Amino acid sequence: MKPMPACFGKLVPGFAKRSFYSVIICAFLISSAFAQSDATFANANQEYAQGRFQEAIDGYDQLVRSGQWSANLFYDLGNAYFRTGDFGHAILNYERALTLDRHHPEADANLRIVRDEARALELTSTLAERYLKFGNLNQFTVAAAIALWVATFCIGALIFARRRSGAVIALSIVSLSIFAGAVFAIHELDNGSHGRALAIVTGMNVQARVATADNANSVLVLPPGSEIRLLSNRGDWIYAALPNSLRGWVPAKSAEAVRL
Amino acid sequence: MVDFRSILKAEVCMNGTRRRRTAWRALLVGTLGFFVVVCAFADSPSATAVLSNSEAAVGETVQLQIRVTGARSADAPEKIAVDGLQIYRTGTSQHFEMNNFNVTSSVIYDYTILPMKAGTFKIPPQTIRLGSNAVHTPELTLNVADSPGRSSSSRSNRGQAQPESANQLVFAELVVPKKVAFVGEMVPAEIRLGFDPRAHPELADGPEIAGQGFTTQKLQQAQQNLETINGRTYDVITFKTAIAATRAGRFEIGPVKAKARVSVPRRQATQRSRSRPFDLFNLDDPFSDPFFADPFGRMAERREVEMESESATFDVKPLPPNAPPNFSGAVGNFAMTTEAKPKRVQVGDPITVTSTVSGRGNFDRVNAPALEDDQGWHEYPSSSKFKQDDEVGISGAKTFETVISPNEKKQALPPFGFSYFDPVKEKYVTLRSDAMPISVEGGAAPAVVASQPGAATPATAAASAKPSPKPQDILYQLTERPKVAQSFTPLYAQPLFWTAQFIPLFALLGLVSWKATQARRENREAQRVAALQHEAAELMRKLRRDDSSPQEYFSQASRAVRVKTALARNVDPNTVDAETAAAAFQLDEDSRERLRRLFERSDELSYSGAHNGAGGISAENRREVLELIENLRP
Repeated sequence: MKPMPACFGKLVPGFAKRSFYSVIICAFLISSAFAQSDATFANANQEYAQGRFQEAIDGYDQLVRSGQWSANLFYDLGNAYFRTGDFGHAILNYERALTLDRHHPEADANLRIVRDEARALELTSTLAERYLKFGNLNQFTVAAAIALWVATFCIGALIFARRRSGAVIALSIVSLSIFAGAVFAIHELDNGSHGRALAIVTGMNVQARVATADNANSVLVLPPGSEIRLLSNRGDWIYAALPNSLRGWVPAKSAEAVRL
Repeated sequence: MVDFRSILKAEVCMNGTRRRRTAWRALLVGTLGFFVVVCAFADSPSATAVLSNSEAAVGETVQLQIRVTGARSADAPEKIAVDGLQIYRTGTSQHFEMNNFNVTSSVIYDYTILPMKAGTFKIPPQTIRLGSNAVHTPELTLNVADSPGRSSSSRSNRGQAQPESANQLVFAELVVPKKVAFVGEMVPAEIRLGFDPRAHPELADGPEIAGQGFTTQKLQQAQQNLETINGRTYDVITFKTAIAATRAGRFEIGPVKAKARVSVPRRQATQRSRSRPFDLFNLDDPFSDPFFADPFGRMAERREVEMESESATFDVKPLPPNAPPNFSGAVGNFAMTTEAKPKRVQVGDPITVTSTVSGRGNFDRVNAPALEDDQGWHEYPSSSKFKQDDEVGISGAKTFETVISPNEKKQALPPFGFSYFDPVKEKYVTLRSDAMPISVEGGAAPAVVASQPGAATPATAAASAKPSPKPQDILYQLTERPKVAQSFTPLYAQPLFWTAQFIPLFALLGLVSWKATQARRENREAQRVAALQHEAAELMRKLRRDDSSPQEYFSQASRAVRVKTALARNVDPNTVDAETAAAAFQLDEDSRERLRRLFERSDELSYSGAHNGAGGISAENRREVLELIENLRP
């Protein structure tokens, strides 16, 4: 056996001590940061309750910029924007809340109200998207992972088994089918009309045009809060799929992606 | 022997080749013949003669053009003698035209006629000699008036502010064919700018139509061609536009103003005009100046000249009262088509209605057709695009896309209406689309009762949602926040997810390695069994042979028993004795005894030192031993 260096005995306790202190300091910093963000959130809520909606928006925005994202934060921010009459940003933040928590009832209810108010246009979901609404992206991801591993274990068992069991073969086929279905669902949901490319029109009097010029012919007038799907970027313009299966160029500054 | 079939085949082949050659020759001859005929027709000469104007005044020149078609050279007279007219040849040019592979050549002889006195003159037919042939021009009549005051009204402004020499080079003309129109009615108009090509003209500014109370479409240059006007050739540029009056009354449209830069002879050159060798008739024609014979000379200068036409009058009638409610000022003649998609939607879903208004009129006042009954519908602002069919944009099709969404269940889309004023019928017309059947499913969107803003109540909004009258208010703020920040990154894109996959991966690898070890172990056992089986077979083969010594024989026999027992019991063959073997095969007492003797004999021969022993083994003994061993079956 190789002998340990003489200094090793001294080094190990020192290293462990330093690691321990580092962990303690990190935990303290994280907890203090979270406590601070809690205070900011509470302040913003208070500003909202007192009718100072712009100050509330500033507070919520500070939390958004620091990455302390939560469905309730975006929901509250959406409410604050609604109070200021900015329906585009209100809908954007409700959509963000629903992206983080698909079953956020308040965000869902308020989104309906603001959409009615703003007359915002919505993208039409494909048939596959409508049928796949029972699960979200993460659920399908977990299902795909589990199904793949089950199928892999079954195939491994079949390779090493002396006698091929019909049940194992059936299980591996079913698992592979579930895996394929889940992968398809992930692809459809992620690339569909409400996937990662979903954006909300936040500007006023936005018109989608046939070319990247302000005087180009208009394709569709997009009220604030309308949904579009980003397809490509060209300078200050984005090419987007629009409601009613239309496509057109929209100024980049007048729309924001839902996913941060 | 002669092979008739091959001869026949060769003959058929030769006939085929001959036929093809004949066909090619016929095609060649036909093509040549066609071209000869075409050329013959193309080259049959003819002559025409035209006057630039059949009316002229004394001292005013008229151009005569004799065109000889189908000839490359001809012999035309230099001078035509008519009493009272001076006719001199002033130029010759040759033209080639190709039309459907038909090349036509023609020679054009230009003559300038100067009437010396008033009256009606007959220019007699001229004989043009074409080699041995001759063609004749028709007789022409020229009426010459006494006074030289005749001039085109449209060009009367030439020469007011400009020196005579410059004004003869350009003119401007405004053509408005319609003199009476309604307010907003698009009336096409033409602006014609003429330039003498010899003056190297260049349009510097304009043209512009002066006047108030009407709008004009953007000027579009429609065409440019050469025209001979009053014996002078002009390069005429025609601009097209359309005029629409904004109020009723009588309007003066124009004049059209433009500026051009032209080359004109210098003043001192003008003073020498009487002695110009090219000014045959002493007309003070600036282009009779030697400058135009020598354009590189220093006798010309560039000058900017103003062009101005006469103005046109225009009577505008007001539109009749009692216009339809959705009349937006469109005047003209239009047709409308409408279509909607999709036909099957849910309540609140958008439906795109595409309406196309086509025809002729003021499309800038054509607004989107509107829903005649918008009860239960929400109509969004329309977008439009216009595709014009003409140069000035008064004819074409304007397509509107209007998004509407149903607020309740519907069976059909209500008609869309568009009203315009027809200036021909002099009345308002309203176009209506047919009601389009569609299917709107689902109920109205659920309304939600909201608490006061800022009230921090528990999140039970969905459960407590009740219908409320509009305007709806949003739900309250939520004051709770999860302890861990959430992420928009999907699970499959997070490192943690992929790290977690190591757990089943390691499990799989463990399972595989365990299974592989097990298989390897099973494989070793199989190899041992195979070796024992092989050894047993080899021993039996040796025992059946009659060439071994007693010691070898009994040693092999006992070994065979041990191996068979080892195979049956899965034990080491070296640990097997007679009793073990007998028990393994459940032998009867007699066989057991014989087996015992076999082992004793083997040991005796092995350890007694009686190697190979004296004598052999009887056949009876061999048979017994073999029988005993072969009967050892589990």
